[in-house]
Amino acid sequence: MAGIKALVGLSFSGAIGLTFLLLGCALEQYGVYWPLFVLIFYVLSPIPTFISRRLSDDSDATSNASRELAYFFTTGIVVSAFGLPIILARVALIQWGACGLVMAGNAVIFLTILGFFLVFGGGDDFSWEQW
Amino acid sequence: MHMEQSMGVHNEHQKEKLRTMSGFLESIRCGDCECNVDWGERRNTIASIGAGVLFFTGWWIIIDAAVKYPDEATFHHAYHTCGVIATVAFLMINAVSNGQVRGDSYSEGCIGQTGGRVWLFIGFMLAFGSLIASMWILFGGFVVPKKPVVYPGIAVFFQNAFIFFGGLVFKFGRTEDLWQ
Repeated sequence: MAGIKALVGLSFSGAIGLTFLLLGCALEQYGVYWPLFVLIFYVLSPIPTFISRRLSDDSDATSNASRELAYFFTTGIVVSAFGLPIILARVALIQWGACGLVMAGNAVIFLTILGFFLVFGGGDDFSWEQW
Repeated sequence: MHMEQSMGVHNEHQKEKLRTMSGFLESIRCGDCECNVDWGERRNTIASIGAGVLFFTGWWIIIDAAVKYPDEATFHHAYHTCGVIATVAFLMINAVSNGQVRGDSYSEGCIGQTGGRVWLFIGFMLAFGSLIASMWILFGGFVVPKKPVVYPGIAVFFQNAFIFFGGLVFKFGRTEDLWQ
């Protein structure tokens, strides 16, 4: 249990990331809510890693094909979360300023999720009863 | 002497302040992370992530072209086949492990060593074929007829190039030596 401070810090950065995302939607000069679709990618991004950790019985340091496949798909989900705002801005569905805010929110949220995995997910006894 | 004593107290106070000030910054540790993982294991992770970036960037390039030019005249919809075949080839190439093709894996698998070699052969042929087809589409479908908008052809080419190189990185960038 790595501590309350890490948890509070991660929740703060998560809130900042979501604030960026919502600013990209709700500011007066933007006003459209299409960028909220990246929330799907936020929710999907930890799932491949969870699946591969569940499926593999050994968590030793040797190479693990399912873990690498999970990294592949997670990277794909992250790339998609950055690609979607760019495409929305290129067809002028959202403005480029909103796209920039959404991408900043993406970066912060994915760093938060990575921080969760680094702080709370490591160790051989990854179990759901960690809390 | 009184002055010296007060100066001594003043110096002590300054040192105490410096000690607390440096203590505040000392709690930040720069190179102290537990990165004791050797680079052999890191190589697999970096290869997987790199392959993921390449593959999905390829698909988002074609999504961008399809969203920007939705009509059939500027971007003939049949050109999407190239990317689909490239993705199938990617899956085929990475479905068999190098060890199975060499013959030194634990289990034979469903199709054995010869079957693995045939599967890999067909997979690589589809991959090379889709890359060549994307170049053909770009030059034969967009450059030579002097179409006003060339971007969809460039997008098809880059999609297939990225998927191809993503497949190569995922296949050959990872090592299967389990015992370092």
